[in-house]
Order: sequence, then C-alpha cells, then structure tokens
Amino acid sequence: MGMITLTIALPLLGALAIGFIGDDRRNVKVVALAASVAAFVASLVLVWQFDVTDPNLQLVERFTWIPTIGAELAFAVDGVSLVLIVLTTFVTPLILLASWDDISDRMHAYTAAFLILQAAAVGVFAATDLLVFYVFFEFTLVPMYLLIGIWGGAGRKAAAVKFFLYTLLGGLLMLVAILYLYAQTGTFAYDAIRQVDLSLTEQRWLFVAFVLAFGVKVPVFPLHTWLPDAHTEAPTGGSVFLAGILLKLGTFGLLRYALPLFPDATIELAPWLLAIAVVGILYGAIVALMQSDIKRLIAYSSVSHMGFVVLGTFALNVTATSASVVQMVNHGLSTGALFLLIGFLYERRHTRQIAAFGGLAKRVPIMAGLWLLVSLSSLALPGLNGFVGEFPILLGTFQTNRLAAVLATFGAVLAALYLLWAYQRMFHGPLEGADNEHTTDLRPREIGVLVPFVVLIVAIGVYPQPLFDVVEPAVERVLVEVGVSDGLPLEPAAVTEEG
Amino acid sequence: MLATFLAQTAATTPIPDVAWSSFAPELPPTITALVLLLVAVARRRQLLVAVPTALLAVAAGVWLIASGETPGALVVPGAVAIVLGILAPALVVATRGRTSLLAAWAAAASLVAALVLTVWQYLTVLTPDGPTLVPQLAMADAIANDGIAVFTRLVVYLSALLVIPLGYGYLQDRRINRAEVEPLLLLAVVGMAALGSANDLITLFIALELLSLALYVLAGLARRDRRSQEASLKYFVTGSVASAILLFGMALIYVATGTVTLPEIGAAVGLVTTPRFVAAIGLALITVGIGFKVALAPFHLWTPDVYQGAPTNVTAFMAAGTKAAGFAAALRLYLVAFPDLEALWVPVLAVLAALTMLYGAFLAVVQHDVKRILAYSAISHAGFATIGLVANSDAGLSATLWYLLTYAVSTLTAFGCVIVLERRRRGEVTLADLRGVGRSAPAIAGILAFALLSLAGIPITAGYVGKLVVFEAGIEAGFTWLVLVGVLASVVAAFFYLRIAGMMFLEDSPEPVEGPYPSFGLSVGVTVSAALVLYLGIQPELLLRLATDAGVLAR
Repeated sequence: MGMITLTIALPLLGALAIGFIGDDRRNVKVVALAASVAAFVASLVLVWQFDVTDPNLQLVERFTWIPTIGAELAFAVDGVSLVLIVLTTFVTPLILLASWDDISDRMHAYTAAFLILQAAAVGVFAATDLLVFYVFFEFTLVPMYLLIGIWGGAGRKAAAVKFFLYTLLGGLLMLVAILYLYAQTGTFAYDAIRQVDLSLTEQRWLFVAFVLAFGVKVPVFPLHTWLPDAHTEAPTGGSVFLAGILLKLGTFGLLRYALPLFPDATIELAPWLLAIAVVGILYGAIVALMQSDIKRLIAYSSVSHMGFVVLGTFALNVTATSASVVQMVNHGLSTGALFLLIGFLYERRHTRQIAAFGGLAKRVPIMAGLWLLVSLSSLALPGLNGFVGEFPILLGTFQTNRLAAVLATFGAVLAALYLLWAYQRMFHGPLEGADNEHTTDLRPREIGVLVPFVVLIVAIGVYPQPLFDVVEPAVERVLVEVGVSDGLPLEPAAVTEEG
Repeated sequence: MLATFLAQTAATTPIPDVAWSSFAPELPPTITALVLLLVAVARRRQLLVAVPTALLAVAAGVWLIASGETPGALVVPGAVAIVLGILAPALVVATRGRTSLLAAWAAAASLVAALVLTVWQYLTVLTPDGPTLVPQLAMADAIANDGIAVFTRLVVYLSALLVIPLGYGYLQDRRINRAEVEPLLLLAVVGMAALGSANDLITLFIALELLSLALYVLAGLARRDRRSQEASLKYFVTGSVASAILLFGMALIYVATGTVTLPEIGAAVGLVTTPRFVAAIGLALITVGIGFKVALAPFHLWTPDVYQGAPTNVTAFMAAGTKAAGFAAALRLYLVAFPDLEALWVPVLAVLAALTMLYGAFLAVVQHDVKRILAYSAISHAGFATIGLVANSDAGLSATLWYLLTYAVSTLTAFGCVIVLERRRRGEVTLADLRGVGRSAPAIAGILAFALLSLAGIPITAGYVGKLVVFEAGIEAGFTWLVLVGVLASVVAAFFYLRIAGMMFLEDSPEPVEGPYPSFGLSVGVTVSAALVLYLGIQPELLLRLATDAGVLAR
C-alpha cells in the first residue's frame, strides 16, 4: 500500500473506529485527531518521495476495482495535487483541535464527518481515474450536508439542502460528460481519455458540463448563491473546511480536467471565463462591502478571491496559472484562519453582527492582532502570502487580457476596503456596552490552532519559491497539453479546426 | 421420462432441449407452497404431511444423485432435495405447531434452495465451458433459459428471501400472519421467475397472471384495514384491465404473425407478408399492458394507492420483485419479438421513460406519507430502468437488469426500515413522525438514510452503480437527452430523499420519542439488505459481470 492510499485510508479507518466507539467524547477526540495527524504524516512522506523535477503524474498506485466497466482505483500526484493534499491533511487536524470543546452534541458523528471529508478530498486530488474522481467528488456531499444541517445555525436546513442540490446537479452533469468520454474510449483512465480526439462541438458541450460542475463548487458567479448560506450557517469547522478545501475541488478540477481534456474549447471559451471571473471578483467584493454579518462578509470575499483563482487559471500562462494554484493554498490558509477567528468570537458573543462589536482591540489584543494579520494576508499585503498569489495572477493575466487584469485589480482594492473597514468597526473605536467590555481573549488552545496558519501565511509570503517550484512543472505540463505557452497558442490552427 | 431429461442435462452439454433444468429452481418454492397449504389444512397433525413429504423428497434426491449418466452430475439438485426433505419434519418439530413460524422458515429454505439451484444451473448447464453463456430453449421453445432468466431469478428469489424476515414480525403485530401468506408469496415469486424465462406469449401471460393473482390477494391481507382492501381491489381492477389489454395485444400479434413464440414473432414481423399495421396495434396494446404492470407514467395511477394501502412487506416485495420480473418480460418482448418495429417502440418508450422519471420525482416532493413517497420513487425508478430498454442494445439490456437488482436491494432496505418504524407507531409513518428518530434510533435512521442515498444514486451505494450503468447505456445509444432528463429527475428526487433523511437527523421531536422495536427477523433482514446495498456499491464486479454476460439472449 502506497502513501497516497494510506493518506486516504487512515482517516477512513479512523471514522470506522469512531463508529465502533460511539458517543464517547474523550476517546472519539483522541482517535479522530490521531487518524488525521497520521494522514498528515503520510502526506509528508509523500512530499519526501515526490520528485520535483518531474512534471508528470507520479507515485502511481493502482488497484483493480470494476474490470467489467474498465474502472480501477488509480491514484497519482503531480505538483498541484501534492500541494492541495498537504493543505487538506494540514487543515483537518487543526479543525478538529479547534472544535475540541465547542461541539456538545454528537461529537462522534462530527469528527467522523471531518475524517470522511478529509479522505474524500485527498481522493479527489489524487484520483487518476475519472470514475474514482467522481465518486470522491460526490462523496464530500453527505458529510458536509450533515455538518451544516446538524451543527449549523438557525437557517441550517435550507442551507444544507441548497448546498447538496446545487453540487449534485453540477456533479451529475459532469457524470454525463464523463460517461460520454467513456463511450468514446471504453475506459475511465485519465491518461487514456486525454488522448481521445473530440470534435470542437463535442469539446464545447463537454467543457461546459465540466465547467458547470466545477463552477458550482468554486463557486463561479452566478452559480455562487449557495455559498453565502452554507458558509453562514455551517459550524466553524465546516466553514473552514468548505473555504479551505472544498472550494478548491472546483478550481483543481478545472485545471486537471476541463483544460487538458478539452484544449480547443478551453482556448475558445477562455475569454468568457475570464469575463465571468472578473464579474465574480467585483460582484463578490461589492456585495461583501455591504454585509452586516461578518461571516457573510467573508463568504462573499471568498467568491471574490476564488474569482482570482479562476482568472489565473484561464489566463493560460505559466505565471498566472501557477500563481492561481498558489492562491488556492493562500485562500485556504487566510480564509480558513478568518473563519476560525469568527468562530472563536461567535462562541464568546453569540452574534456575528459587525455593529454589535466595537473597540474590542482593547479587551482582546491577541485576537485583534491575529485578525489584522490574517486580514492583511487576505487582502494581499506584500510580504504576506496573499500577495505572492494575487500579484502574479494579475501580472500574467495582463499579458493575455489587459482589460480583465485592470478590472480585477479593482477587486484587490475593494478587498482592502471591506476587510479593513470590518476590522476597524469591530476592533477599534470606543469600547461600548457590557458585552464588548467582557469579551475574553483567545485561550491557549485557540492560539495554538491559529499559530500554524500564521506561520505558513508569513513563510509563504516571505519565501514562496519552494511552493512555485513544486507547482510550476505540473502547470506547464497542463498548458502544453492545452497548446499554449505564456499566453500564446502553440498551434494557432487548432483553434479554428472544426472536427 | 423425467429421468431421461435429468440424464441428458448432466451428461452432455450443451443440449438443445434441456427441459428439466430450465425450471429446476422454480420447483422447490412451488412444491413448498403446496406442502405449506397442506400443512395449514392439517392443523395439529402437521407431521402427517411433513413426514411423507420428507420421504418423497429424500427418495427423489437419492434417485437424482444415482441416476445421472456421469456419476455425480446431479449431486447438487439431489442434495438440495434431500436437505429440504429432512428440513420438513425438523421444522415442524422445532416450531412446535406455530404455523406461521414454520411457514416462514420453510419458505426461506425453499428460496435458498431456489437460489442454490439457480447458481448451479448457471455454472453447470448454462456456462459449460468457460464464462460464455450458452442460451437454451426448452419445452417446445416456451421457456428460454438465458441471461435474463438467470438474473431475474437471482433478483426475485433474493427479494423474496429478504421479504420473509422483514414481514414476519409485521404480520404478527397486525394479526394477519395467516397460513396463506407464505404460499402466496412463493407462488408470486415463481410467477416472477417464470416471467423472466417466458419465451412465448402464452407462458408470458400465464406467468404474469400467476404473480398478479397472488399479489392481489397479498395486497388485501389486512382484512380489517379499509386501505388494504381498497389497495387490493384497485390493484385487482386495474391489473385485470391491463391483463385484458395485454391479452388483446397478444391476440393481434398472433393474428398478424401466426405464432406465439417470441423468436418466431421476431422473424415474422420483418416479413413483407405480415400485416404490419395489425402488428403495430398489437405492439401498442402490449406496451400499454406492460406499462401498467411496471407502472410507467401515464399507466401508473394505481401505484401510489396500492403501495400505500398494502401491508408494507407486500409493498416491498411488489416494488422489488414485480418490477424486476415485469422489466425482464418487457426486455425479452421488445428485444426478441419486435426488433423490426424499433422505429415504433423506441421513441414511444423514450418519451414514457422521461415522463415517468419526472412525474414520479415531482409528485413525490408533495407527499407526506413515507410509503407514498417511496411509491412515487418506485414510479420514477421504473423510468430510469426504461432507459436501458430504450437503448435497445445488449449493453442496455444488461444495464436494465443490473439497475433492477440495485433498486430491489435499496428499496427493500428502505421499506424494511419503514416496517421497523411502523412497528413502534402501529400505523402509517408520515414525515412528521420521523422527527428525532436519528437520535432515538440512530442505527435504523442511519440505515434508512443510507438506503435513501442509494435510491438517490449517491456514490458507494448500489443505486449509484445502477444509475451509472443505465446512464452509460443511454449515452452509448445516443439518448443523451433522456439521460439529461434523468439527471434532472435525480436532483428533484434527491430533494425528497434528503427531506426524509433531514427529518430524522436535523429535526428534533417535540415530544420524547420511544425507540423502535426491531424484531430479530427485522434486524437480520434490514442488516443483510443494507449490507448488500453497500457491497454492490463498493464491489459490484461479480454481479455486474453476471449482468453483462446476461446480454446474451436466446433469440
């Protein structure tokens, strides 16, 4: 059994063990944390085994599954999936630690849901068989539905159902596209399907199906309407996982599947996606500016930030597309940390209305400091991680589509506005009201959960090169498959050729 | 006479006319049904029936083992006969006069025997050398023993076997555990199995009537429950009309082609001398009749009332078994007898499939009774199964058979859980009654939710692999639009399945909920069927391979 399989299997075994333990808080927490940390260690071994110079999918692991229909459990990683796998295994134990004392109801089911989510996300990132990919992709639905539905806020039921149905519809459209590809090739293997020749019309339809599936997940404007509800109603851990990992399933899927499988359609439709991305960036930012609920504000900021990732992906040059992968990690870290902070504040005050807070920095200096640092990272201050993602995206996009880059830059400006304005309203100004007076600062466990995030935020901001070194070869491989290099089509003829 | 058949079966394969083996699996349930009726009549003198039965069965078994030309060729059927023979008096003694318990065990044993014989028949008679299935015709071509037949037997016998433990406690609670229940169930399942192998119109009709008549009575088992009576009557009236229409269609086909054997009809329909118009009318009437039986919209109107009113174990059996058998007959009819009229029936069935999927899904959304929701879901699933039929290919045939297996195990699990919940409430279960069940009975709520996810087609369940395979067959045959309709219906369906799951897990009951009281039989039945749902979802290879091999038809 290879390391990828182990990274997927350990959390699942943990979830199974929890199923046998039942509702016994102490043991459940220990087992869950042990399983997710073990998976993290396994993923680190994966990093150690990984050959940075090889752009192809490596460390292949295959098992027979359903030979009758030509599906096998096949896993492999390239730089992009490796980075995202490590992000997943890094975030999950911290989420469990953050929920250590905060979940009073059915702790066993809660932790098991996170372990299953962790395994499913790693499976999505590592799968090299389209059916396996789809299975893991859909498999994130049920635990997330339960997380939002059981442990969520007041509007949890509607939010959970909305999340489920949106993603299911997108996923099923992708399944139809996958089955169409299967009908052409007789296999679900990624490598074989990449070789298939499709006419431009076929490519367009299939590309649209994949983009709809992943666009719901990202979410891309106008498919984003489930996200604010899901984020607002989800428990803290659920929001962190949603923002940190699940949204990346969409952008990862675009880069791994939509681009290389349908290169001609990608080149043809890329301007449309750039436009949608820019609309998403601006729309998300403007709507975020008007929110009175801090969690909803961050949720809309996610729409805006994930718009940058889509923008970078479809800028189709190495600078922007690699940076969009780095930005996936950055968004996971900074938005994840913000949701954690919001969660910690909510436990103290049981409100998320920005207007209810004021002058908190005097009472909770540690929280205020961390909040400011994370906000600055999210708004892409140079020296922190957000900058090393967003700036190259804009730089690269400028080479392919100036207008999109210029418009997107306003999104970055607006990000500074809504994040800092929210920070100012909540933590500065006069300290009024008994509630604000008696808010307590972060406890050691909570600080301990946030420190790893902060360390990575600063480390990536100061020295991002190793991350780029891992990601770039894989991104370059994808772009060569699409037939572009640094924004220029390699074979211009391919664009107009009608099959 | 019989001996020569037996000898032929074993000695040299393939033999063109292997009459005996073609209905061997049906024998144990049929004989058991008759013996059980005798036992019921015998009242306190049960051993008086059981002992002679045992002697006869053991003698038959010994003779079977000894008689094969190749020594040992008929060991399996012989052993089955001997074991069943010994079991008969043993069960009578063990159950000490409790007729319903005796009947349940005996019926279960005969169904296990039927499954064993099905597998034996598949391994030794139908696939004599290697994995390729050699279809066989028997009884003057009235019975076709091929992939459809084998797979249908597996599905219906398995469903019936699961229904017996599910129904035992339920029937006892409602005091409707009468002596005729198990015999009728066995006769119905024999009818279903025969429907799967019926190769001429007469056999097909007789098999269909056998299962329908048994089910009319079973639906009305609860004599004091007006709803059950209504269900029975409604099922009987609409079913009889459907049968009449079907029979009229068959008569027209006979008029047009001069034969009742399906392959010969298939050959004759293409001839210039055949009046195509008459054949087309016949085909239309047959389609209406079959549509009634498998509940395709717009011929589905009886389904919700009957499913809701009938005792829940009977409903489960109808949903799982009748659908499988009905589609088996439809597959054989359309693919063997009417390939030349495909320009007529393919588009019609495609539209019916789309209509059925959407209708079932949308109407389920507004229901409040759980059994009724599952009834509409059954309608919707009939539409999905039709996609494979519409595909009009070997892949489509296998896909429909496979889909019906996955649907059967999922729906049996779901109805099994409903029976558990009904036991507590001693009445119908509405959505509101499910509040808080996730807390008071996490195991049963979890299993029900799992079964619902399977019905919705979420991965790692049987239902997912079922949908995958039918969608694939549909796309391969160029029916992408139909598959997209299926996608839409799946999302709508997911909404109401989630609503049931949400009621159990996301809502809390206003008043404290008592735990349900699963009996031993219920626990076993529900656990086994849930395990099957999981097994077929994770490791479908074995049975999916069998379904794929079942694409070989006796034409």
